[in-house]
Amino acid sequence: MIFLAMRYLLERRKQTIFTLLGVFLGTVAYVGVSGFFKGFQDYMVQQLVDNTAQIHIQARQDILNDHKLDGAFFTQNTAHVFWISPPSGLLGFHEVQNPQSWYERLSADKRVEAFSPLISTPVLITLAKNSVSATLTGCNPLQQSKVTSIAKYMIEGQFSDIAGGGNRIIMGDELMKRIGAAKDQIVFVSVGTRNAIPMKVVGRFISGNRGADLQAYAALNDVQRLNGTPNRVNEIAVRLKDYTLASAMAENWSLVSPEKIESWDQQNVNILSVIKMQTTLRFTMIIAILLVAGFGIYNVLNMTVTQKRQDIAILRSMGYDSFDIVTLFFSQGMIVGLVGAIFGLICGYLLCLYLQTISFFPANSSHAGETLHISLDMTIYLQATLLALLASSVASILPARAAEKLTPIEIIRTGA
Amino acid sequence: MSIEAKKIGKTVGDPAVRILTDISLNIDDGDFVSLTGKSGSGKSTLLYILSSLDSPSDGQVFIEQLDLHKMDPVDLYKFRNQKMGFVFQFNYLIAELTALENVLMPTLKIYKKNEINPYAESLLEKFGLKDRVHRFPRQLSGGEQQRVAIARALVMQPKYLFADEPTGSLDSVNGGVVMEILRNVNREQRTTIILVTHDQDFASYANKNIRLVDGKIE
Repeated sequence: MIFLAMRYLLERRKQTIFTLLGVFLGTVAYVGVSGFFKGFQDYMVQQLVDNTAQIHIQARQDILNDHKLDGAFFTQNTAHVFWISPPSGLLGFHEVQNPQSWYERLSADKRVEAFSPLISTPVLITLAKNSVSATLTGCNPLQQSKVTSIAKYMIEGQFSDIAGGGNRIIMGDELMKRIGAAKDQIVFVSVGTRNAIPMKVVGRFISGNRGADLQAYAALNDVQRLNGTPNRVNEIAVRLKDYTLASAMAENWSLVSPEKIESWDQQNVNILSVIKMQTTLRFTMIIAILLVAGFGIYNVLNMTVTQKRQDIAILRSMGYDSFDIVTLFFSQGMIVGLVGAIFGLICGYLLCLYLQTISFFPANSSHAGETLHISLDMTIYLQATLLALLASSVASILPARAAEKLTPIEIIRTGA
Repeated sequence: MSIEAKKIGKTVGDPAVRILTDISLNIDDGDFVSLTGKSGSGKSTLLYILSSLDSPSDGQVFIEQLDLHKMDPVDLYKFRNQKMGFVFQFNYLIAELTALENVLMPTLKIYKKNEINPYAESLLEKFGLKDRVHRFPRQLSGGEQQRVAIARALVMQPKYLFADEPTGSLDSVNGGVVMEILRNVNREQRTTIILVTHDQDFASYANKNIRLVDGKIE
């Protein structure tokens, strides 16, 4: 029957090519659009995962409200204090409690690739008459380089230049522009009402994220001293060997720790929900395209069944059974689907290779020279093939079943 | 006795119209039987019931002691493929296949392609179509097309050949050629032939004649 199905398709070339084109374009669109969106999404996730830690262990600070202190006055859960003037402010600590036990736990955990103790504090950076407020993060540069991509974003100096202290500072490009500073200049950094201390600018970085580029880094002990909190840290940044475990691990650690522990995906819920929405949109769009392709197959096969009623009658009289008749028409749809999908995959792949050559980032970005991130993930190609075959099979089975139901006597009697 | 019909009746439509009433007949192996009668006498309906393409409203048909209309569909299709051949008024050749490929179609159910080519080619040669083997139906005349259809019906060397007005769309010369072929097949291969025709001259090729009048054997 496959032999006859092939003959039918080859003899009706125009119809076949038209039908094939529907599946072909649907598959190209799926591969191209999915490659683009998935590439972009993977890039976004990679940026989120690489630029900041995958798990943040931070000092817990809850907002104080009028029922937060109920437990201190009553033992019963149902009793409440009603305040004339409700309390307000932050409840908790400014630093991670017992960081040493965290270091031991993280060092022993084989899922952890690296961790970096941090102390972040708001500072005022002054150069001549210019003062800009910023966040200064104290870290061990070697450990921090293992946890985030900051070292890769350096465009002047090395991130390791702040190692060992000595009041050296590395600033983001945006911050340097605002203050008008250049490398090797001395800036004055102050925390709160404390006296400003001079720090030498030893490097500059561009991450491409304006918010991140308004930050500054210095050695951990320098910032602890500046902040008046020696040996204290207010965050431990953790990088995992498998970032997909971050959420589950953060939840587990939260159960046994007084600290606030968040994974990268918990911190970026909004971005991830946009990505999810994009994925849904992508699938909806592609399914619509493939539905149209499926309708093409359905229409052409339906027409073929009508045109080939006599062939069905004579095949039945020759001893071909229902299964053979279904095979004859179903296989035509599947052949069109398969051939359309194969050509679609090849052209979709070539399209993705071309898109990968298109430059996207501005020249002054740290990503300058990089091209569009297009995913060539095998699952896209597998999904495209399965969707094309699914659309073809659903579109083919209905006309094939209609053909199966025709009896030879009906056709011969009507002479059609 | 190879084909036996017992009290065959056929009613169609709503309101019901009686097409065949109480038909009983016996056809022996190697018989060449013509079914004749006026238009609407029920001769084609009887042929289709005897050949399993249609089912009776009443009665039974036995072929080789098998109740034809109670056979398992799988067995029935196998039986039809291996033991029955059909020739219709219109040739019903598959337009996308050459003459040889059309003839080979019934064989593809059990043989591999090309396995039985020599026999199919010899049939076409016997029917005067040696140089038409690789032509498509549209490249053949009406008479040639009908001869290809007969070759297709005979390629499995069936025991029974059912022919419904095989000369109906042909001129008298081509009609005569077709009838000669059928007579030779009956004589040489002992194929049982049941022929429906309204032409008395062609009916005379048969060695038995059954005449139907208003759905009954006269």
